[in-house]
Amino acid sequence: MRILVAEDDAALGQQIKAALNDEGRAVDLVQDGEEACFMGANEPYDIVVLDIGLPGKDGISVLKEWRRDKVDMPVLILTARDGWSERVDGLDAGADDYMTKPFHMPELSARIRAMLRRQAGQSDPVFQRGPIVFDSRTNKVLNNGMPVSLTAQETAVLSYLFHNAGRMVSRTELSEHIYEYDGDRDSNTIAVFVNRLRKKLGNDLIDSARGQGYQINLD
Amino acid sequence: MRRSLQRRVIVGGVVWAVVTTIIGAFALTTIFNQAADRRFNEALQEQHLQLIVALTNAGAPEDIETFLAIPSYQRVYSGRYWQVTDAEGHRFTSPSLFDYELTGNVEEGLWEANGPQGPIRGYSEVITTDDGAIWVASVASSLIDLDAERAEMRRSVALAFGFVALLGVACAALLTAMLVRPLRQLRHDVVHRWDTETALAPEDYPAEVAPLVADINELIARNRNIHDRGRRQAADLAHALKTPSAALRNELVRLSTKVSGTEHLFEALDRIDAQITRSLARMRAATVADVVHVRTDIAASIARLERLFRRTASSDEKDFLVDTASGSVAVDQQDLEEMLGNLLDNAFKWSAGTVRLSAREVDQFVEVLVEDDGPGIGAHLRESVLKEGTRLDTAVPGTGLGLSIVNDLSQAYGGRLDLQESPLGGLLCVLSLPISIVTRNTSQTLSA
Repeated sequence: MRILVAEDDAALGQQIKAALNDEGRAVDLVQDGEEACFMGANEPYDIVVLDIGLPGKDGISVLKEWRRDKVDMPVLILTARDGWSERVDGLDAGADDYMTKPFHMPELSARIRAMLRRQAGQSDPVFQRGPIVFDSRTNKVLNNGMPVSLTAQETAVLSYLFHNAGRMVSRTELSEHIYEYDGDRDSNTIAVFVNRLRKKLGNDLIDSARGQGYQINLD
Repeated sequence: MRRSLQRRVIVGGVVWAVVTTIIGAFALTTIFNQAADRRFNEALQEQHLQLIVALTNAGAPEDIETFLAIPSYQRVYSGRYWQVTDAEGHRFTSPSLFDYELTGNVEEGLWEANGPQGPIRGYSEVITTDDGAIWVASVASSLIDLDAERAEMRRSVALAFGFVALLGVACAALLTAMLVRPLRQLRHDVVHRWDTETALAPEDYPAEVAPLVADINELIARNRNIHDRGRRQAADLAHALKTPSAALRNELVRLSTKVSGTEHLFEALDRIDAQITRSLARMRAATVADVVHVRTDIAASIARLERLFRRTASSDEKDFLVDTASGSVAVDQQDLEEMLGNLLDNAFKWSAGTVRLSAREVDQFVEVLVEDDGPGIGAHLRESVLKEGTRLDTAVPGTGLGLSIVNDLSQAYGGRLDLQESPLGGLLCVLSLPISIVTRNTSQTLSA
């Protein structure tokens, strides 16, 4: 899952990025509105955390521009101004959720998880396919009830395939959603991760079609 | 307030009309009186000349009558008389004098005396006829006709000038109406100007009013500027303070997993956050004093917040009942939504399953009722909740300032917040806000 965080305060931005990285998310951090606007429109983010008080171009304008151009990933607005008008303006501009500063990081994580699930059309935070259970709240994977240890990248691939269950996902798409902007994006590594996942979780979990990509079907 | 322009012009017009009428009437009457007098005297002297001619021709005073064939000398007390007195004091009079004689003040030249029927004016001269006899010849005419003529004249003048005065007052009234009309229009336009972004056009007004219109434009713009600037400063300050506060809190959360005894640091940070919220709310309430004239559609703002809280209602699986009202309140939109948002937020935080919002117009106020079926607030605590901003339950997240912020803001706008017990079982917040002056005055202005 790849997330764009647009927050002009360097310290807070780094904290959000660190917290989301810990959960296995790929996070791009930008500090001004113009850059946020460009990145959001040109990179395939699964979710955006957008501060309203951005320099350059304010968050509401950025959001309006995206929605006008049919850039429709879920957006969570962060605002320091606890004006209710602003929250309505934000939602009317096309935001999916909002949080006011100061906030608790676990709540931000929970909101992001919920938004990702909504996007996937999944109300249960726990995904299941045969003996494999994936809990999106903790990133824990069980195989026949036994915990399985996965690396961060393996978890990211698995999480993305579960969130896009029932759909063929190409290697390129996978690499775009698990690597950060500055990351070393080699789509061949995806095949390596999928192979490792198959070894740890069995061959039945991930279907593949040559040259097309990978797919998980839920029960 | 100074006297109205209309009254000034009308009072001025009346005073002007009265003064000109009095002066004009006096002057005209004087001129006419003098002319009438002169004509009267000339006629007297003419009659005197006729008498002397008659006396000279007759030779004897007894025969004067045959030479003066004027009927009014024959008729008794007709008002036209003559009298001739010889050197011995014998008097010969016109038949019109009958038994009366011109005595007393009869002297050389013009004189006035009492005649047989009211005052008379006469003319006398001592003459010497060819035969050397000396006579005092007098003629007299009644002044009654002259007085009647003067009275008639005064009446005509009064009538004419009264008409002129009335015309003057009517013109003054008409003139005022014409003068005041652009001012009335201006007032009407200014009232509506507050609702729109477009400035008034000075060129649409008379040259004398146009500078005032330009000034009003600037005043309105400046008023909005002050308000916007105050609000922007508050927003910037909020951003500047709350972002590092959020960063600090996150750092503290990480720290608290490694070391113990960080609870008091969280408490301190909570106090800082509450103080920031409180101060920003105060700044916001303070800018209200600079707002001269605002108007917000109550239904539109309720609809906006309804959209927001419908999401809360559906995610919390609570019922949200909304019964909105039409009309406008004299409250800035952001401030109105701040109040409604805080009340609804509070209601959803505490409700067990139902939040109800309703609005109604009461007298010069719109009452917005926000109620829930939660635990409510005991009567003894309600005042302190409004005044101090007390957190009644520290387990529920929040600053505990919501209601006191609403209280401060509503009072800044001349409204109020009352806390009561809801029929639903929880807290009932009654927010009263003044109806927009525009709404109130427009109907008056248009009917005036």
